Amino acid sequence: MRRVAITHVAQSSGSESRESLMDFTYQVNKEVLDKAGLKREEVGCIIAGSADIFHSGLSCANAFDWDGIGAFMKEGSRAEESVFSFIYACMRIMSGYYDSVLVTALVKGSENPDNDPITSFYGDPFYLRPVGLNESSVAAMQMRQYMERYGISEEQCAKVAVKNLSNALFNPYAHVKKRVSLEDVMKSERVYDPLKALECAPKSDGVVSVLVAAEEKALKLTGKPVWLTGYGCSMDHFNPGDRDLLNGQLKSAAARAYKMAGIRDPRKKIDVAELCEPYAFQELLWCEQLGLCGEGEGGNMIDSGATQMDGELPVNPSGGVLATNPYPARGLYRVAEAALQIKGQAGEHQVSKKVKTALAHSTHGFGGQCHSVVILSA
Amino acid sequence: MGRAVAIIGTGQTRHGRRQDVCYPDLVKEAVTAALEDAGLALKDIDGVVLGTMPSMMEGVSSTHFYFADAMGAFNKPVMKVETCGSTGQSIGHCGFYWVSSGMADIILVVGSEKMSEGDGQATMTTVFDPFFQRTFAAGAPGVFTMQSMEWMYRFRIPEEKGREAAALISVSNHDNAMNNPYAHIRTRVTVDDVKNARIITYPVRLLDVCPASDGACAVIFASEEKAKKICKKPAWIKGIGFRGEEFFYGESDKSIWMSATEAAKEAYRQAGIRNPLKELDVAEIYNPFTYQEMIFYECFGFCPRGEAPDYVLKGTFKKGGQLPCCPSGGTLCTNPIGATGLIRMAEAALQVTGKAGDRQVEGVKLALSHAMGGVDQFNGVTILGSRL
Repeated sequence: MRRVAITHVAQSSGSESRESLMDFTYQVNKEVLDKAGLKREEVGCIIAGSADIFHSGLSCANAFDWDGIGAFMKEGSRAEESVFSFIYACMRIMSGYYDSVLVTALVKGSENPDNDPITSFYGDPFYLRPVGLNESSVAAMQMRQYMERYGISEEQCAKVAVKNLSNALFNPYAHVKKRVSLEDVMKSERVYDPLKALECAPKSDGVVSVLVAAEEKALKLTGKPVWLTGYGCSMDHFNPGDRDLLNGQLKSAAARAYKMAGIRDPRKKIDVAELCEPYAFQELLWCEQLGLCGEGEGGNMIDSGATQMDGELPVNPSGGVLATNPYPARGLYRVAEAALQIKGQAGEHQVSKKVKTALAHSTHGFGGQCHSVVILSA
Repeated sequence: MGRAVAIIGTGQTRHGRRQDVCYPDLVKEAVTAALEDAGLALKDIDGVVLGTMPSMMEGVSSTHFYFADAMGAFNKPVMKVETCGSTGQSIGHCGFYWVSSGMADIILVVGSEKMSEGDGQATMTTVFDPFFQRTFAAGAPGVFTMQSMEWMYRFRIPEEKGREAAALISVSNHDNAMNNPYAHIRTRVTVDDVKNARIITYPVRLLDVCPASDGACAVIFASEEKAKKICKKPAWIKGIGFRGEEFFYGESDKSIWMSATEAAKEAYRQAGIRNPLKELDVAEIYNPFTYQEMIFYECFGFCPRGEAPDYVLKGTFKKGGQLPCCPSGGTLCTNPIGATGLIRMAEAALQVTGKAGDRQVEGVKLALSHAMGGVDQFNGVTILGSRL
């Protein structure tokens, strides 16, 4: 298996863009090529990460995306989730067919309906959708279960929003920028009890491009390559009623990623984590399932301050998905942010400790039906 | 290059109007058939790739969630790859790279569509952008007719000659489908039937057009080591190519069709093919429209530009001809879109392994499979061979 590295990344701000989707995509795509000093023609192939009609107003999203991602008459493809597109790009390099692949994930959330009606279409039209299930309502049930089973308090969950939105103030690309107190979060509207408005991710615009390359090529392109050392993914049952929402497939995905990366004790090895937490409490639950703390200890972990920017194991120094949520692209944002932390190029939200190994996580589906875990190393 | 990859099992549903099963059951039917064909159980599968048409066609978005159990993906890594009509080829390509990369040894690839429950033409109209093109769009036939007319005009092909050749293509596809137990449309038609069929969009008539089918296809990809251990006759992947052109229809010349031409060139380069007409033994072309099949012959280098009708009239591409095309009856007789490109790949695999039953072409060593997607925007090609 050939080694694969991220050489350069570029991202747009999560706030509403005035550009058309095609121009918006082109700018970020061009930026990453300029950083690498490459022409479009010099890239081996191109993979898009985007979702279709409900997230873009167009069916077959790859059709409209194709020009903006620089893929005209190039070898390429499109995956529906952005971390899928990232790992697909890496596979193409490992296979030996290509030396460099450009991955771009994109969405203009500002032009589309809210995430709740969109995610309600994950449900089948016969049983789940008529009940009113969507990503938020299932998350609320998951949160209630989490609090009851492990004695986690609402305040502990709310603290995640306070931390992440505070981190976002230092990230020029973050969408939501406001300082909120624990009281603000607790007093914000209950959208799906016990979920409160400030504990739910916004809906953002976002284009993120990542250039990956084979070892030899990567070393030519950058002095600071970020190596892919682990990947794991796992899919759960479709029906949320068939699952234990607190014991899903993240453990399985993480185990695969850790095995590939040779990580036995993630708590010691992982220096920083960028998690996909569209709902505040999920950051705590995911930390447990990733083995970053013990089962039921998510609440203590946030209380201890370990996950703060200057803590032992900073989680979401970028502000995470709670600050910026370009839905289908959000996973690749985590990968890009994790890479920036390793490169030491995260600017004002660079964590104070030295980062050798970073974890990026992505999830989509009801209550995290599918999880992907990426391990990156210096 | 990475590891060699082979197809070690294929499974298809009985295609057609499948009101006897729900959508996940349809998927399961294909997956079960593929596992049986390969002699494998779900526990042997390292990962699953799924592709369908977009959410609007499915009635459910992100179908990899809905089909998670039907395709046996529980506790397995998945990939969801979609490129419109060319999805079937793109998911096959993903299966290939996943195994070739060394990240997995055995990958299950699934494509499906239940068109009787959706609105295909309305969905395809939303592939066009909402500002400039959508108001002019008339589903798929409108576009493909425009392309056919452009092609005949550009190469000065007399309309009667194009009509005659297209009718022959329809007749030979329908004849071939009679030999395919999975095909949707199984009726014999004559040249006169085609010429007198109801007009859809001039000059395309009803029998020049594919049906809307329900169906699924599953294909199992394995590394060289596993394939040699598990399978007596693997179908080896020899070359793959995928190209896409501009989004706006008017920006490219669809009679020359760069994406189709270049995708095939790339696949030929990898497979070491210089003269496709001579070297290929069979081709499974994505032919939802008879006229379009002729444009593909030209793009794929089977004949010079503008001469496809002459070759068709000579019988080059029919059963027993120099390069038989679509012995399965093709997309023209069966089109569950998300599965169609993968069905082409599965049929090519059956041909190179001698497992195609009544539709088998004698002595196939090298086969081409293909799919097209978007508003004439994407083309994917895969070459399969009987030898590594």
